[in-house]
Amino acid sequence: MSRAEIAAASTEGAQRAPAFDTARRFDPLLIVGTLIVATVCLLAVWGPVIGPYDPTLTTASVAVPPPSPSEVPGLLIAQFSGQLETPPHWMGTDANGYDVFSRVIAAPRADLTIALLATALSAILGVGLGLLAGYFRNIATELLMRVSDVMQSFPVFISAMVLVALAGRSTTNIVIALAFVYTPIFVRLTRAEVLSQRSRGFVESARALGTSELTIAIRHVLPNSLTPALIQLSVTVGFAILLTAGLSFVGAGVRPPTPEWGLMISTGANQIILGEWWPSVFPGIAISLTVFGFAALGNVVERRHDA
Amino acid sequence: MTPEHDDTVPLLDVHELRVGYPVAGHDPHLPVDGLSFQIREREVVGLVGDAGCGKSTAALALLGLVRAPGRILGGQIRLDGRDLLTLGDAELRRIRGREIGIIVQNPRNALNPMLSVGRQIELAYHAHNPRDRPADRDKAVEMLSMVGINDPERRRHAYAHEMSGGMAQRGLIAMALSSRPKLLIADEPTSGLDVTIQAQFLDQMWSTVQDTGSAMLLITQELGIIANYCDRVLVMHDGRIVERAPVTQYFAAPQHAYSQAILKLQRDDACAGGELDDAASPGNPPSIIDVRSLSKRFALRGTHSFVQAVQDASFTIERGRTLGLVGESGSGKTTVGRCLVRLLDPSEGQIRYQGDDIAALSRRAMRSYRSRMQIVLQDPFDSLNPRWTLGEALAEPLQLHTTLTRGERRTRAAELLSLVGLSADQLDARPRDLGAGALQRVNIAKALACEPEFIVLDEPTSALSPRSRVELIELLQRLQRELQVSYLFISHDLTTVRYLCHTVAVMYLGQIVEHGSVEQVFENPRHPYSTALLSAHLFPDPEHRRVDHPTPAALQGEIPSPIDLPDGCYLAGRCPHVIEACRSHAQDLKPLPDGRTVRCQRVTGGELGVGPSPVSDHDR
Amino acid sequence: MLLRYVLKRLGVGALQLAGLTVAVFFLIRWLPADPVSRLVSMNASDEAYAQAAAQLGLDRPLLTQLAVYLGFRPDLEPGILQGSLGVSWVTGSAITQDILQFLPVTLELITISFVIAFLVSIPLGMLGALNPGGRADKGVFFYGLFAGSQPEFWWGLLFVFLFFFKLGWAPAPLGSLSPMSMAPVPVTGFITVDTLIAGQPRLFVEALHHLMLPVITLVFVLSGPIVKMVRQNMLRALQSDFVLYANCLGLPRRRVARYALRAAMGPSLTLIGILYGFMLSGAVLVENVFSLGGIGQYAVRSVLSFDYPAIQGVVLVITAISLLVYLLLDLVHAAIDPRISHR
Repeated sequence: MSRAEIAAASTEGAQRAPAFDTARRFDPLLIVGTLIVATVCLLAVWGPVIGPYDPTLTTASVAVPPPSPSEVPGLLIAQFSGQLETPPHWMGTDANGYDVFSRVIAAPRADLTIALLATALSAILGVGLGLLAGYFRNIATELLMRVSDVMQSFPVFISAMVLVALAGRSTTNIVIALAFVYTPIFVRLTRAEVLSQRSRGFVESARALGTSELTIAIRHVLPNSLTPALIQLSVTVGFAILLTAGLSFVGAGVRPPTPEWGLMISTGANQIILGEWWPSVFPGIAISLTVFGFAALGNVVERRHDA
Repeated sequence: MTPEHDDTVPLLDVHELRVGYPVAGHDPHLPVDGLSFQIREREVVGLVGDAGCGKSTAALALLGLVRAPGRILGGQIRLDGRDLLTLGDAELRRIRGREIGIIVQNPRNALNPMLSVGRQIELAYHAHNPRDRPADRDKAVEMLSMVGINDPERRRHAYAHEMSGGMAQRGLIAMALSSRPKLLIADEPTSGLDVTIQAQFLDQMWSTVQDTGSAMLLITQELGIIANYCDRVLVMHDGRIVERAPVTQYFAAPQHAYSQAILKLQRDDACAGGELDDAASPGNPPSIIDVRSLSKRFALRGTHSFVQAVQDASFTIERGRTLGLVGESGSGKTTVGRCLVRLLDPSEGQIRYQGDDIAALSRRAMRSYRSRMQIVLQDPFDSLNPRWTLGEALAEPLQLHTTLTRGERRTRAAELLSLVGLSADQLDARPRDLGAGALQRVNIAKALACEPEFIVLDEPTSALSPRSRVELIELLQRLQRELQVSYLFISHDLTTVRYLCHTVAVMYLGQIVEHGSVEQVFENPRHPYSTALLSAHLFPDPEHRRVDHPTPAALQGEIPSPIDLPDGCYLAGRCPHVIEACRSHAQDLKPLPDGRTVRCQRVTGGELGVGPSPVSDHDR
Repeated sequence: MLLRYVLKRLGVGALQLAGLTVAVFFLIRWLPADPVSRLVSMNASDEAYAQAAAQLGLDRPLLTQLAVYLGFRPDLEPGILQGSLGVSWVTGSAITQDILQFLPVTLELITISFVIAFLVSIPLGMLGALNPGGRADKGVFFYGLFAGSQPEFWWGLLFVFLFFFKLGWAPAPLGSLSPMSMAPVPVTGFITVDTLIAGQPRLFVEALHHLMLPVITLVFVLSGPIVKMVRQNMLRALQSDFVLYANCLGLPRRRVARYALRAAMGPSLTLIGILYGFMLSGAVLVENVFSLGGIGQYAVRSVLSFDYPAIQGVVLVITAISLLVYLLLDLVHAAIDPRISHR
């Protein structure tokens, strides 16, 4: 009998078989993702003030390496019992003398704010336009789709660069640039879903009752078309952080001395060849974990909706 | 036909089979729970049971397969004495296709979308009979021809998305029978097929199976199919067999409560006409809706041609009466229904609702009529917003057309639920918590919310199991009696039409071809299409099995495309009584002496006499 | 039939490019940046400013500038219709020439990376899908999720630190070849090809050596989404009705797996096209780290120095290549899946 089960397992004919059993209570991805995102959000609010040093001021110690792992416990004790004059540089300092640790935990304020605002803006715009384009199919909406197509064929990185560099490197402009890049995705996702929802029975049923088209669009179609956009939200936040960091890395993003992970990696890049790894590696780890956390959450949402 | 009961080893012996879907924390309701039955060589056995009772799960399990995350939990499946459940994957693959073949529902989904059907038959054959490519190809052509596909050499290059449902299903049979298995399992093979195509197909499948000498397990919900093709019946309920009998005995004297329930519609002698007339509205009730020369055209995108979906349809429905509209795909019956409630705008014609022509009214002007005429759609799940509770769904019409307060709406919603036989606790349930039958009642309740006088019912029972079908029809009858509401009942299921309707109109390619009372049309159809439709309908009468009295194919070929309609009679290409004049003259509806109208000059001219009716042969 | 489809796509693509060009033209002029002030000193007089503006053609009315750029006023300057993308405001050289110099480097890098990423990801994705829920699957899934969320420029730096500084396996990130080697005569612009054409196998190996780290970096980052997509599509295919039916027919396991793979390929191709388009400009980050001198770096320079014609030229060329790649992948998709080609 067990062999038949093996045979069964090799065929996989289910309607939807999620990758892992989502009925399990302890979903590691959910836990990890939530932890990371929660931490980053907290840092976005308090990061700049809880660090040992002011993230925007240089110190005298230039290019100081971080303490080795064996020294850390001792330093921790010394620090908390008030024996030290100046706090240690847990992640070392960079070539300009900034304390890396303070800047790493201060950076989420810039990165996350930009990413959240840009995602929210593009989601609202994208879903709204997608609903209109999908439900009311006339010349105006066809034109809208052509425009969206053209927008989407802009090379992503360059268009973001152009918008920021030419409009001025401010947070607002970065948000707008990212929104420009991400809106077409939401438009496309929502429109596709709306197109399939608009022919559902309950829509016709509402029409037969005499409901106005606009009311149908908002009360019936919209709530049932949000799923793809919702799934996309978390992932987009992650990508927005990556894009912001990338832009800052090439000099077309946030202005120094604002603490921002990409900027930090950029200024630390020259030192890597000399063996001074810490100004670039720590912010990199931070981005790596953060974006992964958002991606993990996004995946959890996706699986919940699939199952 | 029925094989003698002998003591030789049965071909298939299933013993206490159990299949379940383990879900963490839930008590697994086993869809297959102690299933036991036998099939002998060359037997045709029917397996009948409600939707969701586990028939398809059982069918797959016979091959040792189960859809993830299910598991086969126990039991034995002996094929020629060998227990399949003890075999390994490689051996099972040898047996599948070679000893047991299967065809499934939704044939187009079962075909690989990227390979031609011919190539798939070659591969299916090759898996068990390794020969060279040309031999495989010959076999594919041979099988296609055996299943009744004309021009097999050319048609073998077709892909799944290019094939009709009927052709795809034949493709599956060709694949399944290519290695001449001893047993063919047919799991709901005709769901979704038109009535005449279904009859053609089942005849073909039955004779192919006789040719290859295979036994067949025919799984279906349709009692008509069981009666006409099977030797023996197995009834599955709650995961196991609850009744088994030879077919004539089963229909004559069903034992189990479930069998009795589903055979009810067939066993009731009364035809709708007599019973309903007295109960509903005696005498000559006033007409509620009067349709004159209704036509509807759809333009085809990107071309200048159009589809004439409905042409020149005229009929009247009185208060408290039901008109049945029957036909196959492309008949236009659904379009008519939608035009009446103005979900579609008619191209021409008048729709007089209690004297007012609503055919061309603006949306705003239509609003006041909307509460008086409603529609119930085919798919009960799709018709309700999945995010709303039932209470909210029922309140929607009340919000639009009444001035009730929130609390009053909720009370009324509870009333509506009990009106259709559901409990008021369900007000806060969501559609996914209920079954199809219950949901369709909710849809009817919603249609009744504003006390309409007229309801269009568009295939309301097609998605329901036979038992739910019976219950829904009874509900509709009761409501008509109590509320004096009129129905336009659109359906392809002639049994329910006969039970529920007073008058019936038969449609073909957008035209009404025969229109009269239900007794007139069903007992004695005059138009060649009505005759063909009624003879193709599988009445559940095992005394007169279709396979025992081979019916000459009444209509050739498939239903033609509605885009290029000919000048003369639309049926001319398929009609057995066609003459030259039929092809050149457009046919009009003309009355016959008994009051009905028929669209056939030969019939109304008296040339085609009243012959032996196919219906009277099956009756009593 | 096929020819008509290709022609139609090319036609639509040309229209899209035209729309894009005009859109970019106006977009960058609408932004508040002032390119002229980049070229003159801080204390320039008004005349010097006006002179500089005239030199750049900015004194002409806007529509005339557009007409000139597109090539409708060959009397003033050659434009696109004449095959000219203009002259860089910063370097003074023809943009077409500049682009032809820088573009092949990027194309070489990302094409090699894509091919390797593809070859690596497909087996990984399949491995996961064929053992759903198992350890291998979890590993594959996690890898896909992780790799796809990484900043590639940082990993490039990490690899430099690890493989160059610590281990010494890779060369210094100073360009496509060692600064002390003589570059071969540029024939195609692709270093690897050119070294072979010039008959210098040693240089060929050196070029590959220098490409090693950048390629590994890109392969790592690209494989994330590709593995994720292949795995997901394979899973969906393995759960589909026709795979179940193939098993019902008793087809051998390998053939059923091939069925599923073929069905999973189509949607994956679309993703690869999107990634390629993204990488054309996104590769700048890796180019930057390894000093490769590709189109991405050219783009960054042009943007930061407000070199409008260069920006326009880069956008035009990159989009054109993206559209061509999409077309090619769609053709491959149609070759695999008859549902598409039969429409």
